Amino acid sequence: MGTSLVKNNIRKLRFHHDEMTQEQLAKKVGVTRQTIIAMEGEKYAPSLELAFRIARVFGVSLEEVFYYTPEDETEL
Amino acid sequence: MSYQEKNITVSLFSHVLILGFYLVKLFQMVQSGGLVANSLFSLWAIVIVSTILVNIFASILTNIILSIVHAIRTRSSEEEQFISDERDNLIGLKGMRISYITFSIGVLIAMLTFVFGQPPLVMFAVIVFFSITAEILGDAAQVYLYRRGF
Repeated sequence: MGTSLVKNNIRKLRFHHDEMTQEQLAKKVGVTRQTIIAMEGEKYAPSLELAFRIARVFGVSLEEVFYYTPEDETEL
Repeated sequence: MSYQEKNITVSLFSHVLILGFYLVKLFQMVQSGGLVANSLFSLWAIVIVSTILVNIFASILTNIILSIVHAIRTRSSEEEQFISDERDNLIGLKGMRISYITFSIGVLIAMLTFVFGQPPLVMFAVIVFFSITAEILGDAAQVYLYRRGF
């Protein structure tokens, strides 16, 4: 266990959306700030529903927020 | 530290206190030679009832105290939202799984006491011990997962 294989651009997207705070994003998608922190730290991979809600807040597609890095690629 | 994390920490400490109380009383009984069915079952009842009551009251008290602290810190009457999301639910499930595994092992060990010729009272004492230990390990696992992120 440790870091998740699902990576994300949440921090970057927050920055490009008027420096949205973690608290603001958490309220918009209906989770706690700790969950946003865990996702940004790539410790937690969200459910598909939450991933769609986050993408919807930023007005982008799911692939622009989340991407999958297979284990063999992360070791390179 | 989130609301859930604080709640679980309070639960963890209360379970440790209950386990301490149980072990002290049990050793007192063994030393005084008073390990008889009546006294053990009354201790068992006290421990189970106090576990249920402490869980309920600890949760209520934590909620009230955190609301007061939140109101003082933010100086507003706006209530803090104690929401529980999917990550909280998953952490709760993982903690519960560890509790069940611990309790299952405990029941197995309790059954084994018969194999070694121990009286039924020992089995009951071991079951109660492992039921509280299972709660403690489940809470500790949840605190660990919250601290680590997931």
